[in-house]
Amino acid sequence: MNRGTLPIVARLQALQSPARLAPGGARVVADVGHPSPLAALLREVNETMLARALTFESSTGCSMTVDVAGRRVLRLAGVTGLSGAETCLAAPSLEDEHKDELIKLFQTVAAPRHELRVMSGPVRHDTDGLSVGIPVALLADLCLIELNEFGEAEPEPQPEPEPAPAPAEDLVLEAGDEGFLPALALRMGPALAAWLIVGGSADGRTGGAEEMVAHLSGWLEDEAEGVSRQLDMASLVSAGPVCIVLGATLVDGHSILCARADGGILLGVIEGDASHSLLKAWNAARG
Amino acid sequence: MSVSELLGGVVKAYPQARVVAFADLSSRMILASQGNQVVTQENLDALCEQARTSFDDPLFSLSVEAFGEPHAAMVLALDGVQVYLRSETEPGDALVCICDHSIDLAGFVAKIRETLEKISAGT
Repeated sequence: MNRGTLPIVARLQALQSPARLAPGGARVVADVGHPSPLAALLREVNETMLARALTFESSTGCSMTVDVAGRRVLRLAGVTGLSGAETCLAAPSLEDEHKDELIKLFQTVAAPRHELRVMSGPVRHDTDGLSVGIPVALLADLCLIELNEFGEAEPEPQPEPEPAPAPAEDLVLEAGDEGFLPALALRMGPALAAWLIVGGSADGRTGGAEEMVAHLSGWLEDEAEGVSRQLDMASLVSAGPVCIVLGATLVDGHSILCARADGGILLGVIEGDASHSLLKAWNAARG
Repeated sequence: MSVSELLGGVVKAYPQARVVAFADLSSRMILASQGNQVVTQENLDALCEQARTSFDDPLFSLSVEAFGEPHAAMVLALDGVQVYLRSETEPGDALVCICDHSIDLAGFVAKIRETLEKISAGT
């Protein structure tokens, strides 16, 4: 499987898994038979983007609360029944020097053959100054845990060279797709819900919902000049491909994508978080 | 915590962010900036202007018509990625950033959203 799809598959599997709630509103993240409660704990942190206080509680009776944001552990906010937490607790912000102690605490609270539960709440402390923290990816690396692993917790086989991003199944590669804009559109896959290319060697290529494509096409026909001018002015460099994405947040909801390269314009609608696929597709397309 | 310190926190957390600046888009001024890339005032003025352009017509109108008012924009070019975020409460306030192509965009956007909210709230 393409390693780039692992986070998506893992997330989809997590979303499809029925949540099991424990008394008190906690959610069970690892039952007694879970092959790696520590991996489950780290994945919870890895999926937390906005600032939250996560309280992990083991059926052994011990618990710990960490303030997390942006896939980083910012602070150890409290512990119950755990020793050896003094240095982390005293630190206003966790840094690299705290990682070993933090891992030991995680290992203790995520004890094998015990249920592990999590409760999520608002961060109670002032988060000013807590901009660094320890990346959960670093903790996972040190624990030899693959954050995006799914299914059985087996070690990854020998890493393979990263393959080129695969085009979405419903998009067909045709002659001329080696151009920048078709490559960008196709490599984005289904995140680009509807798109069309006007001008250049791929003029007339489209993908996605026909109704939306027709609307985009009509709009671009009227606004082509203004779009070109906007693309000219938005780029810091005068030559080469350029792309503008506009959305409420860029990482959820819908966004508009407009790119220009090789004399053509690509206009499309992005659905959901396309940040990863867009940057990957852009980097691949620009070579 | 000062605006500069908040911006510095973003750069520290995301070293791929070469420039992170706080701008008042309504007066076209960069009010504070942090980052490892050496930039002149002219560069910053240009960045501010490009942020305004990104939130301008005709793409702005298309976005409003289709999904509502956009508060985030990104410009991809050969030399890097520019990310612009406007405050939802103070329409003139914005963070304008120049980043490497390797940045974790989802995490970065969450971080600058939180930072911009703090700046706009004056905390």
